[in-house]
Amino acid sequence: MKCTATRIFWGAALLAAGLAHASSAGAQEPGLTEKTIKIGMFSPLSGANMAYGLDVVNAAKMYYNKINKDGGVHGRQIELVIEDDRCNANDLVSAVKKLVEQDQVFMLNGGSCSAAAVAAKDYVVRSKIPWVMLNASADGALYPPTDYIFGAFSISQYAVGGSVVDFGKQHLKAKKIGYINHDDAYGAWNLEAAQETAKQLGVELAVESINANITDVTAPLIKLRAANPDTIAITTYAKPAALIIKKAYELGITKPIVLTVTGTANLSQLVENVGSKDALKNFYVQDVLADVPGGPKIKWVYDMYKESYPDLAAKPDHPQAYMPYGIAPAMSVVKALTDAGPNPTREKVAEVLRNQKFDSGVMAGPIEFGPNDRAAQESTIYLKFDGSQQTLIPGSFKSLWKYKG
Amino acid sequence: MSDKAAAMLSRSEASPPARWTARSNVSPARIGLLALTTAVLIFLPFVVTGYVLYIANLLLVFVVLCLGLHLVIGETGQFALAHAAFYGIGIYTSGLAGNAFGWPFPMSMLLAGLIAGAVGVVIGAVALCMRDIYLALATFAFGEALQWVFLNWDKVTGGPNGLRISPARLGTLEILSDKQAYPVVAITTLLMLLLTILISRSRLGRSFRAVRESEVAAMAMGIPVRRAKVTAFGLSAFYAGVAGSMFATFSTYIHPDSLGFQTTILVLTMVVVGGLGSIAGAVGGAVVFGLISEFLRQTPSYQEIIYGLILIVFMMYAPRGLFAFIHDKAGRVFRG
Amino acid sequence: MTLEVAFLFLQQGVASGLIIGSVYALLALAIVVIFKTSEVPNFSQGEMVMAAAYIALYLLVFRSLPLWIVMPATILLAFAGAALFRRLILNQVARANGSPVNLVIATLGLSYVLRGFVRQTGFGDTPRSFPPVIEPESILIGQASVTTLDLVILATAIIVMAAFFWMFKYTKIGRAMRAVGMNPKAAQLVGVDLTRIHMIVWGLSGAISAVAALLISPKVLMTADMGSIVTLGFAAAIVGGFTSLPGAVVGGFLIGIIENLVGLFVASRAIVLAPFLAIMLVLVIRPQGLFGGRVEIKKV
Repeated sequence: MKCTATRIFWGAALLAAGLAHASSAGAQEPGLTEKTIKIGMFSPLSGANMAYGLDVVNAAKMYYNKINKDGGVHGRQIELVIEDDRCNANDLVSAVKKLVEQDQVFMLNGGSCSAAAVAAKDYVVRSKIPWVMLNASADGALYPPTDYIFGAFSISQYAVGGSVVDFGKQHLKAKKIGYINHDDAYGAWNLEAAQETAKQLGVELAVESINANITDVTAPLIKLRAANPDTIAITTYAKPAALIIKKAYELGITKPIVLTVTGTANLSQLVENVGSKDALKNFYVQDVLADVPGGPKIKWVYDMYKESYPDLAAKPDHPQAYMPYGIAPAMSVVKALTDAGPNPTREKVAEVLRNQKFDSGVMAGPIEFGPNDRAAQESTIYLKFDGSQQTLIPGSFKSLWKYKG
Repeated sequence: MSDKAAAMLSRSEASPPARWTARSNVSPARIGLLALTTAVLIFLPFVVTGYVLYIANLLLVFVVLCLGLHLVIGETGQFALAHAAFYGIGIYTSGLAGNAFGWPFPMSMLLAGLIAGAVGVVIGAVALCMRDIYLALATFAFGEALQWVFLNWDKVTGGPNGLRISPARLGTLEILSDKQAYPVVAITTLLMLLLTILISRSRLGRSFRAVRESEVAAMAMGIPVRRAKVTAFGLSAFYAGVAGSMFATFSTYIHPDSLGFQTTILVLTMVVVGGLGSIAGAVGGAVVFGLISEFLRQTPSYQEIIYGLILIVFMMYAPRGLFAFIHDKAGRVFRG
Repeated sequence: MTLEVAFLFLQQGVASGLIIGSVYALLALAIVVIFKTSEVPNFSQGEMVMAAAYIALYLLVFRSLPLWIVMPATILLAFAGAALFRRLILNQVARANGSPVNLVIATLGLSYVLRGFVRQTGFGDTPRSFPPVIEPESILIGQASVTTLDLVILATAIIVMAAFFWMFKYTKIGRAMRAVGMNPKAAQLVGVDLTRIHMIVWGLSGAISAVAALLISPKVLMTADMGSIVTLGFAAAIVGGFTSLPGAVVGGFLIGIIENLVGLFVASRAIVLAPFLAIMLVLVIRPQGLFGGRVEIKKV
């Protein structure tokens, strides 16, 4: 007859057995040998948000492989340990802690989900480990600035929101902008910058915040139509964005629509989802890559992908839209390790990163950090998109939001 | 008589009644095993890395969450599905108490439990007249609504920005690592476990089970059914609040994303797969499922399918939970 | 807000609410019919919709089959899949004789498997759609703007619901289902084959899910996670009383309208909150939902 206590004992024994992976002793500078340097990567590799991470990791991985083939960094081969963070705070923190304490990596290169990434902030800063994010914006971990965390390699959300308002005012001559954002962390950050920029430019904003799971976008659009803005800016993800554009067309809204980079993942699919090219008669997209996907400037990235992952590239929808975003962070890591000299320490690498500046050739603007700036990429370009052709709009459009710290 | 009641009855006939009846005698062997468990828990921080301790801390939080859900679902038979909301109340309460007033963590832990418990009592009282699926879905709706409040009450919870939780403290001691937090988490878990065993063996526990088996019969025996239900709700929420506060001792950040129905369902799954109605099942379910989830992280692309299949297979072949299953199989082997 | 604008909002809110509400009503119907006969709230209902949508996508876009083949094929496949799940999996779970909640956890397991499977195909990430049953064109009803597709959705939903009610009420199989819902043991005694009825009920629920999927995928777009829409079906079912088929339909329309009116008159960010508030409000006032039967007390 088993009793409660026996069962609890077996439970505890299981716990101990499951967890008692031996811990390995750390060297002087963890993750570093004469011949190798260990880097920990993490990103969503499963579940609903896989599209934000899987191929981004693959892009970084193929770039590191190329560096290794060319002789590595100061003669050291880059070793990768890759973890799935499921885009969720608890799992992300456990991935980070495993990489740091069990795998003893030298530094971190990971994170594609903003809200989840912020959860690892304090731990990374306390452990004094340089952390170069992947494509997470994670502005919450970048402001206030810390000595070890570097992110927003795709774009800072503060740049997204401010810049789109500037574009509306300058290029589309709007006095009143209808602004649709999400009610999540991303949305809060880009709205803050949008409001600040609008205030400084004397533009009026009509804001509708919606949930990412919304199924019926009629109500927010009817309200926006009643507010009668000169242009509509959409900073939502791809699915709500397509629903909004379609509904705007059905409601006979003919004002210009600008879609920020948050929702532009797959433009040809967007055309299909909207159902009619007529809906895109007066339509603009914001982008953060140096060129249109597959365009001449970034063609090498797509070629390298096909060569490195022939099986994946044959699958539908691959490479995933965010794939090229993985290149710039990997470049940043390699460059920092190179510049830190043949005997890098975590401190030295973090120091180098704090003053890093280079042009990746992949992203729209330079990768640049500074005294109070841990957001790598703050430039955007705008394209007019008619359903098949993208035409670049000249001019530079900037967020006027500044960190007040 | 409904189908459900029939199923419950047949279940109580089939399973050994001894599991639920209170025992007054405590054998030395049992005390020894409990001591051994304690010893394992004490020994753990000396042999493993901080990462493993983080996982252990997280598992223990889920153990307490499961114990709470066990009280209301397993013992009392009330399907309350707002556990993540009470957990959230606990996290935010102790986070805010620490951030704003620098309260020592035992105090904020108690406060977190009490506030969550109080809300639980109110919900329990409101939900008194609902049953089964209505109760489940009303509490589900409450949980979702509360998650919305967490996400939109910017001034208090930080809204979509999440809330940074300052380190838990006691006097001059600040908890900055999983290793430091572990003793607090482990001791709290043991206390909550003891409390659960005590409740389960008390008059209160007996009245809970009476309500579960048949409200009419319980009433006829003079058990205050309404009071028992509300108490179970309150206690369950109190556990979730304490679990939230435990989470706040080793975590530095909370975002409403992790306080939704997903979390409630995860806890429910642990309790059911462990073995509905038994304390060991609740504890074991939390530990085993927590570990499965962590190990599945290593097999990214198939993990949803594997997880789903695990649930289905368990329900097909181990309907009374993991421990009953092991017990039956082991018993058969020994009997030859 | 001027009175004129408020009136426009009201018209639009009710019109849009009825249309999206008809989809919620279908989902609620699929949930309730299973619950009525086997007391299982099906947590994989949303994923059944999702899977049906992907079957249709596959046949329509990748196999280039015409719509008149795709529609019945999808519905049949969904019927068969759901019926088989009941026969092969849930029967064993029920026979294993654990707690009733075990059945719920098994459906939860199915939802993970279906989602994981669709993700494996590589089509689950990017939001997709397939050509709608008819090209949407905007028309005005009063001051409310709707599309022709919207009207087709509403009409189809109403037809399907009517057919379903007719079947439930007047056919032999429908009467058997009702009998199982009221008292399975007694139904068995008078010669109803429980296993068969359960299979048919699940199959029907799958078929309704497929109809919903065919109607709404072009309207709400599909991803592997589109099943979350079923939350609104549950809200509709619970508001309507969870065991009542007419209640499910009324609940669907109510939730659709409430969502839209809250969005228009309160705030867009409160849209997601609206169904949960509706559930709580209804249940506090009427613990068995609007159309639910009397609260029954479990007897010994």
